[in-house]
Amino acid sequence: MNRINRSIVVSFLAVLAIGISATSSADETCMSPYMAKIVGQEDFVYVWTLGREGLGDEQDKMVTVDVNPISAQYGKVINSVSVGGRNEAHHSGFTDDRKYLWAGGLDSSKIFIFDVHTDPAKPTLHKTINNFVAKSGGVVGPHTFYALPGRMMITALSNNADHGGRTALVEYSNQGEYIATHWNPTDQDLRGAVKSGDYADGYGYDVRVLPRRNAMFTSSFTGWSNYMMDFGTLLQDSEAMKRFGNTVVKWTLHSRKPEKILDVPGAPLEIRCAWQPDHNYCFTTTALTSKIWLIYEDDKGEWHSKEVADIGDPSKIPLPVDISITSDDKGLWVQTFMDGKARYFDISDPFAPKQIYEKAIGSQLNMISQSWDGKRAYFTSSLLKNWDKKGAADEQFFKSYTWDGKDLKLEFEIDFKAEKLGSAHQMRFGAYGLYGMQRPDTTTQVESPSVDDGLASQ
Amino acid sequence: MVASSISNAEQKDNSLSHIRLAPGDDKTRYQQSSYKTNSLSLAMRRGQAAKLYEIAKTPQLGLPVLAKDAVEQIDRNKIELGRKLFFDRRLSHNKTMSCAMCHIPEQGFSSNEVSRPIGFEGRAIKRNAPTILNIAFAKLLFWDARENQLAQQVWSPLLAANEMNNASIGAVIDLIKGDPEYLSLFDKAFGQVPDMLNIGQAIAQYERSLIAANSRFDQWLYGNSEGALSEQEIAGYQLFIGKASCSSCHTINSRDALFTDQKLHNTGLGYSTSMTKIPDMITVQLAPGVTAQVEQSVIQTVGGIKENDLGRYEVTTKPSDRWKFKTPSLRNVELTAPYMHDGSFKNLDDVLAFYSGGGVEHELLSPLIRRLNLNKLEQSQIVSFLKTLTGSEVRTLVADGLAAPIGDTILEPDE
Repeated sequence: MNRINRSIVVSFLAVLAIGISATSSADETCMSPYMAKIVGQEDFVYVWTLGREGLGDEQDKMVTVDVNPISAQYGKVINSVSVGGRNEAHHSGFTDDRKYLWAGGLDSSKIFIFDVHTDPAKPTLHKTINNFVAKSGGVVGPHTFYALPGRMMITALSNNADHGGRTALVEYSNQGEYIATHWNPTDQDLRGAVKSGDYADGYGYDVRVLPRRNAMFTSSFTGWSNYMMDFGTLLQDSEAMKRFGNTVVKWTLHSRKPEKILDVPGAPLEIRCAWQPDHNYCFTTTALTSKIWLIYEDDKGEWHSKEVADIGDPSKIPLPVDISITSDDKGLWVQTFMDGKARYFDISDPFAPKQIYEKAIGSQLNMISQSWDGKRAYFTSSLLKNWDKKGAADEQFFKSYTWDGKDLKLEFEIDFKAEKLGSAHQMRFGAYGLYGMQRPDTTTQVESPSVDDGLASQ
Repeated sequence: MVASSISNAEQKDNSLSHIRLAPGDDKTRYQQSSYKTNSLSLAMRRGQAAKLYEIAKTPQLGLPVLAKDAVEQIDRNKIELGRKLFFDRRLSHNKTMSCAMCHIPEQGFSSNEVSRPIGFEGRAIKRNAPTILNIAFAKLLFWDARENQLAQQVWSPLLAANEMNNASIGAVIDLIKGDPEYLSLFDKAFGQVPDMLNIGQAIAQYERSLIAANSRFDQWLYGNSEGALSEQEIAGYQLFIGKASCSSCHTINSRDALFTDQKLHNTGLGYSTSMTKIPDMITVQLAPGVTAQVEQSVIQTVGGIKENDLGRYEVTTKPSDRWKFKTPSLRNVELTAPYMHDGSFKNLDDVLAFYSGGGVEHELLSPLIRRLNLNKLEQSQIVSFLKTLTGSEVRTLVADGLAAPIGDTILEPDE
């Protein structure tokens, strides 16, 4: 605690002195700015893993991998917590105090809350929310769990009326109490938003915020019927293929009101906002049309969407999935599922990203998590249970790489099928140092949040 | 008094006028780059409960009168109970699937948004979700006609591993018994606790109340309302019963019309799917106005093995029954796209083109299927006619479906 308190003081003074917080960076580059972050060596990676029929105990589980090179257990799975059922385990996110990790099931709509602070090496299942759909008024498929002060902002993908893509943001307290449902704007009810282009589909996927601009952004994917369908069948169902999101919505962060709907055709998925205080923009990539899009504010304060680069050869549908921005806003990792490649784009000019590196990581590839300094990158393989490749190409792995700015070097890998675990999906970092603990063999540097939400100067 | 009753009638109509008889997520003209959304708000997805008991009991123009004993069995409390069960997502192994997740009210009580729906954990269902509308008059149930009573049919999806995947009959009964509200409703409706028979009967009673006839066609043919159909529609009707001989299977009688002969036929579509080579390249839509050509070999890397479908043969194992499927009624067909047993035709134009070409030639092709050589105008006339078969009270039934409470787990979080 002393360490964290001290960091808060340092950050606050820095804001007073120069009016900006120039050192912010995290999973670490992709997480909420309201959250304490690991700025040194992470101790653990928590891998939210899909259970597979016929493998091990067949159920979803939170798997802990020891990733600290000085640990005797380095490179090993050191803990696994099974949660019951195959829920279509997908994404997870910490509360702002980083004491709890919320992990969702896109199928069952259950939310599993893990205690990661009592013993960061051994997360335990603290609470299960199994009435998310009823509480939220019919929202299905909780996706992103994003920390706001004292709150979890949860995006979703579907609904209980038609299992299509119209959906909402759902807000919970850190304690797991339902607070509010914020429906994504539709033509019938724009909820005060401006439809700036042709689309107001009401779909959802990811959420990110730029607190200093009082801005929140959501993207749009597809509903339960599509994300649960065999991917080969889906590609051949021309009716189902019409049901993908084509929008990014800019919301007012503090009031949670949708403000402007931007056209971003082709299923924009992950959103990553820039960290530098004068960088008022975010990136997203479209899964189907394979483009990088920039969501940016012009000098008049208006927000726009602009297609700024192709990812691979879009005609081949490389299917960009997870992306990760570097803490200095100069690089963007883009993973393409179909060819299993990690691609590094130079985004020094956000309007003209250029791919400068690529490496095949596996037969299929989805998620990346990089350390705050960008020197370590971890990759996992699974996209969705029924979208993953079939047969031998269905590799399921966790791979740890180092990045020297020029090349990725494999440090270790874990075969999640051989270990009888399942399909490896999303990763989050853990460290003793976040909780004032010291592991016997190392010290972890952490830093508290230093968010400029526009209020400091008022 | 007169003014007042007119006012009430208007109010009733107006209150339902916002009910869209199509998906709330409108994808019309999505193929074109000029596509614009026209999406409805889910928070505003409210309907209005209907007097289903009256609808179930009252004969509608164009449909045969139900047998006396069938009418006597209609019960207000059983319909209400069945409606609650039909929309209850808890009645599946992982609490995500109700009957209504595939038989969606505003989608013609079918699934407009997918060719073939998916079930438990996304498992494939190899056939299109048929409409529940007018199911009271169906003698054959399922596309392969393997079931003959609605109260029995209900149990197939409840137990099928690729639909609701409940572990057993007993597990479903215990699940329902565990809810005090259901115990009370079963007691009220049947004077019994839930069991295999009354669960089926309750859901069947709700389904049998979804009667939708008295269409413009019915008013024209059986109601002597000469102006009810346009010239184009009448031309389509003449083709339907004449040159195109659609009515040799989609039956129209002198007093009523079910638009089905309650039989099974082989049109060649199932044969074609089973026996012909799949194309090497497939056009995949990526966004409005954006498509890509994708090699089948690429699709196969992310596609599971598609289950074959031999139709009626799967029930009888008679070689002559290969690729036979039941004749669906065409009532309300405008609302129930996509079409055929596998949902492979996206619209009625494609269906007409298929039949005009004589289906798919092979040795088991039904003799009733032959090349019709309908020109484009004739095909469009028949399509226009088919769109006159939408029941006058469909909106009432859909509004009722929208008003039905959706059952989801309401337990507090586990500590």
